[in-house]
Amino acid sequence: MLGLDLSLFKRDVLNERWNISLEEHIIDMAWSPDMSHLVAATAEGRIILIDNYGDSAAYKQIGEHALGANSVSWRPDGLQFASSGQDGKVQVWDGVTGKLLQLIDADNDWVAKATYHPQRPILAIAAGRSFKCWTETEGIIYESADHASTIADIGWSPDGSAVAVAAYNGVTLHYPVQQSEPRKYQWKGSSLLLTWSPDAKYIATGEQDSTVHFWDVNSGTDAQMSGFSTKVLELSWHSSGQWLATGGGNTICIWDCRGNGPTGREPQYLRYHFDKVTQIAYQPSGHYLASADIDEFLLLWEPEKHDKIISATSLSAPATCIRWTTKGDILAVGQQDGVIETFLIKNAHV
Amino acid sequence: MISKIPVTVLTGFLGSGKTTLLNRILSENHGKRIAVIENEYGEIGIDNDLVIGAEEEIFEMNNGCICCTVRGDLIRILGNLMKRRDRFDYIMIETTGMADPGPVAQTFFMDDDIKNALSLDGIVTLVDAKHVIEHIDDSDEVKEQIAFADVILLNKIDLVTPNALEELEARIRSMNSVAKIFRTQDAAIAMDHILNLGGFDLDRALEVNPKFLEPEYPFEWSGVYQLDEGIYTLIFNAGPDPTINVSLLRIANTLNESMQTTFNSAAESAVLAFSSDETALKPGEAIQAFGKWYQLQLNTNKSRFSLLIDQPGIYALFTEHHPDEFHAHLENADGNRLQAVITRAYKPDHEHDEEITSVGITTSGALNLDRFEEWLRWLLATKGADIFRMKGILNFSGMTERYVFQGVHMLFDGRPDRPWADEPRKNALIFIGRNLDREELNAGFNACLD
Repeated sequence: MLGLDLSLFKRDVLNERWNISLEEHIIDMAWSPDMSHLVAATAEGRIILIDNYGDSAAYKQIGEHALGANSVSWRPDGLQFASSGQDGKVQVWDGVTGKLLQLIDADNDWVAKATYHPQRPILAIAAGRSFKCWTETEGIIYESADHASTIADIGWSPDGSAVAVAAYNGVTLHYPVQQSEPRKYQWKGSSLLLTWSPDAKYIATGEQDSTVHFWDVNSGTDAQMSGFSTKVLELSWHSSGQWLATGGGNTICIWDCRGNGPTGREPQYLRYHFDKVTQIAYQPSGHYLASADIDEFLLLWEPEKHDKIISATSLSAPATCIRWTTKGDILAVGQQDGVIETFLIKNAHV
Repeated sequence: MISKIPVTVLTGFLGSGKTTLLNRILSENHGKRIAVIENEYGEIGIDNDLVIGAEEEIFEMNNGCICCTVRGDLIRILGNLMKRRDRFDYIMIETTGMADPGPVAQTFFMDDDIKNALSLDGIVTLVDAKHVIEHIDDSDEVKEQIAFADVILLNKIDLVTPNALEELEARIRSMNSVAKIFRTQDAAIAMDHILNLGGFDLDRALEVNPKFLEPEYPFEWSGVYQLDEGIYTLIFNAGPDPTINVSLLRIANTLNESMQTTFNSAAESAVLAFSSDETALKPGEAIQAFGKWYQLQLNTNKSRFSLLIDQPGIYALFTEHHPDEFHAHLENADGNRLQAVITRAYKPDHEHDEEITSVGITTSGALNLDRFEEWLRWLLATKGADIFRMKGILNFSGMTERYVFQGVHMLFDGRPDRPWADEPRKNALIFIGRNLDREELNAGFNACLD
């Protein structure tokens, strides 16, 4: 039988701290900037605020989204966070007490994501087919025309000047702050998620048709990578913007995006997942890469050094969401069975 | 391996009764927890906390190939439902009246997550028995909804005459010969006729006598007459053909409630009795109720043939062409014109030659795997746009299991099934599509036999 022999790996790198069980599929999680809180959203719609005490945790349900939650995001000052759901609502919560502060109606549409500007208290909202921006003082400050389908993902550019929107027919770049004309990165396909390279040079998208697109943000040209065994829902950039890790099957590919980009270059392969990869996340410093699979394994790699596993552990269900703290020394792993587990990384190379 | 959650798709024009049926399904005490995805803004009257409304979003994949369209809304919503699969054990999708079932079905082939976790249990199409005739000729959507169906409910039967219903059913049957057709009023139907059909249960679909997979009846019309002992006259005027084939069969002693069933099985006997060596009759000669086929030689003006009835009873007359084309009628000895108590047109008229048909192939013999694959690849590449659905059980040389497959347009999914038991090994497959060439399909398939 194929599988990992965990005894082969260093056991002292991934140190389990606390775990809790919410008994519902964890659909999204976010660490507060100071790591004192972790907020989690479940597929059933519950919003859970967790106090992180390091070795232990306390949690409470603060609210819910009928029909299911989709996303959570902290305001950069860490005082509030927002959640979105299939009920067409965005809710803004107090980051300490968990009290509901605002209820934003997104016209009964599926709100795939609500995400805060990287520096300012502006909330970007994927409201059905329309993209909106909201602030506490002014309400809705920007509203786009409808995209070709319900928006699948949105992401602020690293400097916060633009928001990229992924939907059917490619990516659209909106400028909600300066309110200028959107820019279209057209492609006939369904983009499922997007991520900006930290240097803002590329927007990478994972696609329904089992490809990855690299959009060159300035020129608007794109490179399409194929060969994935299924649709690509796992993308993570190295902090330098030089490497992109992709899932879409059992093998993790690390694409070299230096210089002229990934076209024509063989990626680095990380091959020790024996079933489909479900999550990939580079540590903020870029040193470690964490990944998880359907076989319920969590693996840790040092891709810049070699393609071998540094550490591995077995979970109680496939990971659905893995989140590093900003500092990069703690990893939170949310699972299909509702368990959230945190790991302290020894010699974290932060 | 976790078992797959069954999904039933409800299609049908606005007003055909989809919402009524959905409400019935939700209120019926069947012990299932059902999640509903609604594309139609209907009124669900039932308190069901898993009703998700969504607009249709059609995605073309692979740079615009028409056969690779999928439903983005369903990928998104079904994908999310799978994250809470312990909350329900059945999924219903209610499409809009104008929905093309193709992209819905293709979604179950094209998206890996959906393919692994869900199974398309069946497509149930509701047909408004009264109003469908107004749309059927010029609406591709109506035709496709009928062609894709596993089950068709002819609904609102209280609003149409039995004859009109017969004609409609015959017409629908000629388009999709494997769907189960039920006649309903207020969409009242037993749940086990529409839910948990077991997917695509080939044995059930193909249990239909293969002869009737061919919608080509050798006659276009039949009528049921109540006749006493005596001599009757069948009168033809000149028509489009110099000859016409007819057959007469005694089907019952008296008119009774199961007449329709008796009549239908008589039609099957008439098909089986049909052969190329009909007895030729000249005007003045006599037709007898032996169930055999006569070829009547017609004069350029009126032609009269005798009908010899030696015992009273219920008789079915089958004619190669519609009698109206020959201004034909039946008279008794007193010269009075007789009306048929039931009539059925097998091709309502020539202008209605359906562009959508079913072609069934049933043969013994073992298939050569390479040749079959090559032929199928060619067929789907060239004709895939016109092939709506296909299903089959195949007998490959050297394979101990039956091979089952199904497909939608260019997408094909096949696997070995149970081993052949103590039964004759054979191939049975069916294509439902537009402008299918029966001869070509048969020849292509037969060329793959070892």
